[in-house]
Amino acid sequence: MKFSYSWLCDHLETDKDANEIGEALTNLGLELESLTDYSEYSKFVVATIKDFRKHPNADRLNICKVDDGTNIYQVICGANNVKKGLKGIFAKDGMYIPGTQINLKKGKIRGEISEGMLLSERELNLSDDHEGIIELLDDFQNGTSAVEALKLNDPIFEIGITPNRGDCLGVRGIARDLSAKGVGKLKPLNFKKINQLEFASPIIWNINNDDNSCEYVVSRYFKNVNNSKSPEWLQKKLISLGLRPINALVDITNYITIDLGRPLHVFDADKIGKKLDMRLANANERILALDNKEYTLDKNTTVIADGDNALAIAGIIGGDYSGCTDDTKNVFLEVALFNPNSVAQTGRTLGINSDARYRFERGLDKNMVIEGLEYASYLINKICGGLVSKNIEAGKLDNFEHKINYKFDYFNKTIGLELDPQKQIKILKDLKFQINKSNEKECEVLVPSWRNDVKNKIDIVEEIIRIYGYENIKQSVPSVSIDDIDKIDNSSTNKKYKSIKKLKKTLISNGISEVITFSFHSIRAQEILKGDKSLKISNAISDDQSYMRNSMIFNHLESAELNFKKGYKNIQLFEIGPIYNSPQSQENILSLLISTEKNTNSIYKSEEFNFYSLTELTSILISSLNFDIKQFNISRSTSNTYHPGQSAELFMGKKLIARYGKVHPLIMEEFSKLKNCYAIELFFENLPIDSISRANSINILDSQFQYSEKDFSFLFEKEQNLYEVQRYVKGLDKNLIKNVEFFDLYVAKDLGDDSKSVTFRVTIQSKEKTLEEKDLEQLHKNILEKVTNKFKAKIRS
Amino acid sequence: MDIKKVLNEVTKEIEQSSSQQELQNVKVAYLGKKGKITELLKSLKDLSLEEKISSGSKLNLLRIEVDNLIKNKFNDLKIEEINSKLKNEYLDISFPPPNSIASKAHPISKTFDEVITIFGSMGYSVAEGPDIETDFFNFSALNIPENHPAREMQDTFYVDDKDKEGKPYVLRTHTSPVQIRTLLNQNPPVKIIAPGRTYRCDSDSTHSPMFHQVEGLFINENANMGDLKGTLIEFCKQFFNVQNLKVRFRPSYFPFTEPSAEMDIAYEIVNNKIQLGQGDRWLEILGCGMVNPIVLENCNVDTNIYQGFAFGVGLDRITMLKYGLTDIRSFFSGNLNWIASNGFTIGDF
Repeated sequence: MKFSYSWLCDHLETDKDANEIGEALTNLGLELESLTDYSEYSKFVVATIKDFRKHPNADRLNICKVDDGTNIYQVICGANNVKKGLKGIFAKDGMYIPGTQINLKKGKIRGEISEGMLLSERELNLSDDHEGIIELLDDFQNGTSAVEALKLNDPIFEIGITPNRGDCLGVRGIARDLSAKGVGKLKPLNFKKINQLEFASPIIWNINNDDNSCEYVVSRYFKNVNNSKSPEWLQKKLISLGLRPINALVDITNYITIDLGRPLHVFDADKIGKKLDMRLANANERILALDNKEYTLDKNTTVIADGDNALAIAGIIGGDYSGCTDDTKNVFLEVALFNPNSVAQTGRTLGINSDARYRFERGLDKNMVIEGLEYASYLINKICGGLVSKNIEAGKLDNFEHKINYKFDYFNKTIGLELDPQKQIKILKDLKFQINKSNEKECEVLVPSWRNDVKNKIDIVEEIIRIYGYENIKQSVPSVSIDDIDKIDNSSTNKKYKSIKKLKKTLISNGISEVITFSFHSIRAQEILKGDKSLKISNAISDDQSYMRNSMIFNHLESAELNFKKGYKNIQLFEIGPIYNSPQSQENILSLLISTEKNTNSIYKSEEFNFYSLTELTSILISSLNFDIKQFNISRSTSNTYHPGQSAELFMGKKLIARYGKVHPLIMEEFSKLKNCYAIELFFENLPIDSISRANSINILDSQFQYSEKDFSFLFEKEQNLYEVQRYVKGLDKNLIKNVEFFDLYVAKDLGDDSKSVTFRVTIQSKEKTLEEKDLEQLHKNILEKVTNKFKAKIRS
Repeated sequence: MDIKKVLNEVTKEIEQSSSQQELQNVKVAYLGKKGKITELLKSLKDLSLEEKISSGSKLNLLRIEVDNLIKNKFNDLKIEEINSKLKNEYLDISFPPPNSIASKAHPISKTFDEVITIFGSMGYSVAEGPDIETDFFNFSALNIPENHPAREMQDTFYVDDKDKEGKPYVLRTHTSPVQIRTLLNQNPPVKIIAPGRTYRCDSDSTHSPMFHQVEGLFINENANMGDLKGTLIEFCKQFFNVQNLKVRFRPSYFPFTEPSAEMDIAYEIVNNKIQLGQGDRWLEILGCGMVNPIVLENCNVDTNIYQGFAFGVGLDRITMLKYGLTDIRSFFSGNLNWIASNGFTIGDF
């Protein structure tokens, strides 16, 4: 909401300056967004183009001789409205241009010297207009300051109005709030009611209000008006806010919208029928609106119509055809109370953000309907002359009446501040709330008609503290209770964050960086990774962000590619965040991507990263969560994200704990620059939270007696799960078999297609004694026999 | 027999030994089974008791001294030998290692961690809720009815799929739905924070379609607006590490709190950089207020007994302010250069 200092002073008698008022507005909850004071623009002056010629080296540029009253300057200008005798606004060498945020420098443009600049409105931050340079219509003397020539001597406030404060969408409402804050005194509205309403309106309302979208409407007919330019005071007011004056009738309605926050509409009475209706639009009914756009309406839109013709979209915008022009002789004024809900819905459907809609959907002051009618009639009559009809109305105007029972100590309990009932009452009265009955404990509050947002006793508390001042609230920090600490200790989410932190530390110490990527998937990623279709975002802002992701791998490949383009060949990154299986199912996982190139460094040569390096890393991560990778059931992954032969899934019962492997070559086709990509997805939420958040949990037996090692080689079936073998061997004697370590795998043609040779080392140690040779031999024999039988394995020598 | 002569002789031979083997030979020649000194000791048996005693002790001293000389020489030779071997094992220590990029934690992780720690010290446990929300949790239950202009305060992403009420799912526009989820699940007193991802369809250097917030909720019999003010000032002091922090609470509007406030902190520009804490400019930090009784009633909380406050802080925003970062889009680009420059090493995290 924009308004000028002088406009505010129409309603508020105050000795405070613009800065003080700005601060008061913010303290009232009417946040000052900007206060534009143009006094610094006095350095820019009026100057005249004495003469100009084409720039010899540039088609679009002109070389102008500019007179600022003191000197003649040569100025190179690219504007298309350059002409001899044009009076504009001139900036000299060294001056700061606010719109472009640069200091002007004298210099050559294509070989010709330029000593200054003729400014556009945009270069002065007055509007977005950059079509040409400012062309002053009045005959100012050269050298006159821009502040005077452009009438910029009135500070402009721009404030943010929260959706509850529709009452402050008019300058008068703002003045009213300021007066309650003690910033000044509210002046009475300055107009006279028209006493001679001579005739009945020839146009009548015939409302078939089938959707309750209009509670009440009142109109007057103005005969024989003279609609031309508005008087200077009115034009100046509109211009000061960046609005363009059109003609008196239109300007008056715009003025009252801003002044009182009361939208109203004027029809050219000769362009509309005699019976006006408010009805729901027909499907596909069209209307050309005052913004010069044609809208196609639907059956939920309320229109003002004369029979078949829609004349205006109720509460939102008028139609172009029935609008008032300079030739308008007879006028029909409409002041209505439209239903905020239906205005909001229609406005949103049609995408029209008009001043009227903005106000109607926030709810209007019912008592302002008649006041608005009278004020508009007064102005039309005063400015355009003519005769005014009697009221013609439809619907019913109810009195606004809202009472709230309020206990004074509710304020104290909510705010934590003792405020005397008398002080509370004073503040409410300053805000024009009426206090009906009161004793020392409670009172009955009558809410003023413009405050439809004040509904409950808590709203009364808010009003009082808003005026009393938030700065007066005493701060205190509540103490921490044992119950609080208990809850933190037992919170599974706290435990989860603890585990996540452990994971992050493990990852970072392994040289892997953390990234955060969007929760979205591109259309392409969605196609390739076949996410659930129900995850489509209806109003996505780009194709890259069209779905909610069901995996992070695609995002991470994109990151890897970005980093590859920056010169990194070995990229290791991870993210801990959500993926989405359906709108109802989201899980937080760790996803990690490693993209490596063949090592070409002959000095720092390390082994190439492969599936087994990845398995080792997976194992480290799982260990950091107090689990042992070998305790899970392992199987090949069937996910189409991974290479089918070089990927695995770990399960605990039916719960997927991890999936890792080489990224599928088909996906890598999309990322041709990247060579060797591996990923791990760790579904840590599927692990029992109490186990993974514990600090210490692995219990390793420590024996002082001598240990013995023995290697075993077997031929197994090719798909034999070695995790099972390992668990089985370890389980053969839990007291003596300390460790089973696999260290060799041999697969070759000479073994046949369906077997593999595997060697593992068993470490045997007792915690009670040094084992004797015969004990060891018995155990070795046992292992050989049992493994052979259990897994259909052959001993290999 | 001249002990001195033998000593001179053996000392010379020990000194001249240039390898452990030579020295070993000397040792055998003097102290071996048939060595000179051994022989001398053996010959003692033919002497008288008196001579045995006098020569014996001298010979024993000689044996010990020679033994020591040999041990010392062995030691010297060993060191010499290792040293000469080391000369051949010199590597080019200046051969530069391959370039690698420092692995770090994302600044947002650091902020999450600090927020959880600071509020944890004030007794807040962590709660959470889903990113894809129903209209009920994101709007209606929070007193934001359909067609209410407050819905337009936030540009909402919608999902094609519809919930049980037939309304499209939304990407939560704030973390406030966690208030509702928690209150429906847990009886007061409730003291939680809920950090997480939030979404609005907006994108420029200060707005990202995805960003992070932390929600706070404290409901008991008497939590009041003074407590709210104190809690948030304390949080900001700790988070921004500024003891002398100038703040401003000003009235605002959120449908789910009443009275509502926004908190600004003062700043000034020093050497072209934002310095927080003092000065006469203001930066908006967070929104907060007393939980609207309508919201509590929506969650079946008895408002005759319970009251409390809630707040929401933009985590990306306070991270940017704390570390002087300017473009929110770089947070989510996956650019490892950016992470290495702005992230945190394991020790700092």
